[in-house]
Amino acid sequence: MEFQSCVKIINEWDIVAARQLGRNVAKELGFGSVDQARITTAISELARNIYLYAGQGKVCIEKVYEGNKAGLKIIATDEGPGIQDIRKVMEDGYTTSGGLGAGLPGVKRLMDEFDIDSVPGKGTDIKATKWLR
Amino acid sequence: MNISIDVKDIDSQVRVSVKGEIDAYTAPKLRETIFPLSEKENVNMVIDLTEVAYMDSTGLGVFVGLFKSIRSHDGEFRLVGLSERLRRLFEITGLADIIDIKSDTEGGLE
Amino acid sequence: MDFRETMEEKYREALSTYLSEQTENALYQGQKLSRKTIEYKVSPEEIISLHKSILMDIFPETPAKVMHSLDFLLEVMIGYGNAYREHQSLRHEQQELKSELEIATNVQHTLLDTKIPDFDGIEIGVISVPAKHMNGDYYHFVQDENECIGVAIADVIGKGIPAALCMSMIKYAMDSLPETGNAPSDVLESLNRVVEQNVDPSMFITMFYGLYNPHNHIFSYASAGHEPGFYYEAATGKFRDLDAKGLLLGVNKKTKYRAYEKLVEPGDMIILLSDGVTECRTEEGFIERETLIQYIQNNIHLCAQEIVNNIYKQLEKLQHFQLRDDFTLIILKREV
Repeated sequence: MEFQSCVKIINEWDIVAARQLGRNVAKELGFGSVDQARITTAISELARNIYLYAGQGKVCIEKVYEGNKAGLKIIATDEGPGIQDIRKVMEDGYTTSGGLGAGLPGVKRLMDEFDIDSVPGKGTDIKATKWLR
Repeated sequence: MNISIDVKDIDSQVRVSVKGEIDAYTAPKLRETIFPLSEKENVNMVIDLTEVAYMDSTGLGVFVGLFKSIRSHDGEFRLVGLSERLRRLFEITGLADIIDIKSDTEGGLE
Repeated sequence: MDFRETMEEKYREALSTYLSEQTENALYQGQKLSRKTIEYKVSPEEIISLHKSILMDIFPETPAKVMHSLDFLLEVMIGYGNAYREHQSLRHEQQELKSELEIATNVQHTLLDTKIPDFDGIEIGVISVPAKHMNGDYYHFVQDENECIGVAIADVIGKGIPAALCMSMIKYAMDSLPETGNAPSDVLESLNRVVEQNVDPSMFITMFYGLYNPHNHIFSYASAGHEPGFYYEAATGKFRDLDAKGLLLGVNKKTKYRAYEKLVEPGDMIILLSDGVTECRTEEGFIERETLIQYIQNNIHLCAQEIVNNIYKQLEKLQHFQLRDDFTLIILKREV
């Protein structure tokens, strides 16, 4: 792990801080403006979920390397109520807030890799990576 | 296709007036609005169908469900203001023998 | 060549043309481009980004604030791009459901298939058409060892998939009845118990069950709240309602059904129907039972199957080829 920094999510302003952090790292890695906007939107969604449903948690941004490709990894963790039925929240068309395109399926679509672990009553752990092309 | 449902609580009687058409599209709304009221003990419910222009068998399903629910909670259930066509529907299905549809609107709903 | 590789060039060309001369033709090029970008699933944010970089190229004096505004626009459009992609995936899912439904429809056909008895002395005509994919009407014929012909016609309150699932249960219950000697009232009583126990409290079934004995020509029948059919008396040329009283299946576990009997003379007809026939709505309101009788009368010289076919065609046309409810019509005719 070469680089990781985190933002604690407690109130709505922290969402902006997480976005800023993500954008800075994305720029450093050389992501174009479209991918920068996709990454920050994904961060927004994840941070907003923490703020709305878990109360608090954190979003960490990491530079990742695999072979000769570089990427950006978002790690969102909280100790909130967790998700009962992950399959359901990953379904298109299922969203408790916002309309089409929002929620976790939206995040998955904006990024290249997506991984979720959740234990009801314990919390949720989401990792999403975008690779530089 | 529209339906409007008006619920009034007068003298411990639940008075429901339905206007419009009761079919597969509007029946869920009717069910959602009235069903919770039927689950109280000893409820006395009167439904006025004077302004129902059309009702298909889905609507019949709603009323039978209501009737069963009210009966199981020791309540009373009456339907008033049935058109000739609706009355026939209740008679064919044998429901007229178990659900009170005969009493007149007078004294029931104004 | 892949469109994405040439997209930039085409966009540059169309945009420069439009910036130098604001013609309808240039705008038309833009519209053609958008058809292509949709076809190749280019997202809105990508188009804005492309627009910005080309603008910077061909018109470098664009004020910085305008350029910044495009970054802002890009951010706003991300959500739309995502919504568009989700819409695509939901559309794909819908197509999958549609084909699954088609398969289910075929399964239903196989499951509810019934053989129309071919028996000297009695002629049978049947038509059953669903309003949607799956049929909530059901009819069934059985012929027992004594050559008695049993006929059932049923209608689930409700339409579509839930109704069809419910029907499969009825069919299974009917198959489990003993092979012979089932009086119609007994059949309804045992089916009533099955429905009462197994079906959702707001779901009900109407059913008419009849048994024709070809030896003494007695038609015995009973009804569980089903739309009454007609009886045609050849000797007088008159139609009358085939009245039978009885409560819907599934309301009360202890319901008893009354048995009715009728002696069928040569040329007489028994006409059974579902409420999709009488609930047929035309511009002037519901079709009257008298009108229906008139239609049957007009076709009475034909064979049973032709009569039901013609009546269906006539009612279908009256409703402008849009069925609101499942439609089933059965005619049994004692041959002369």
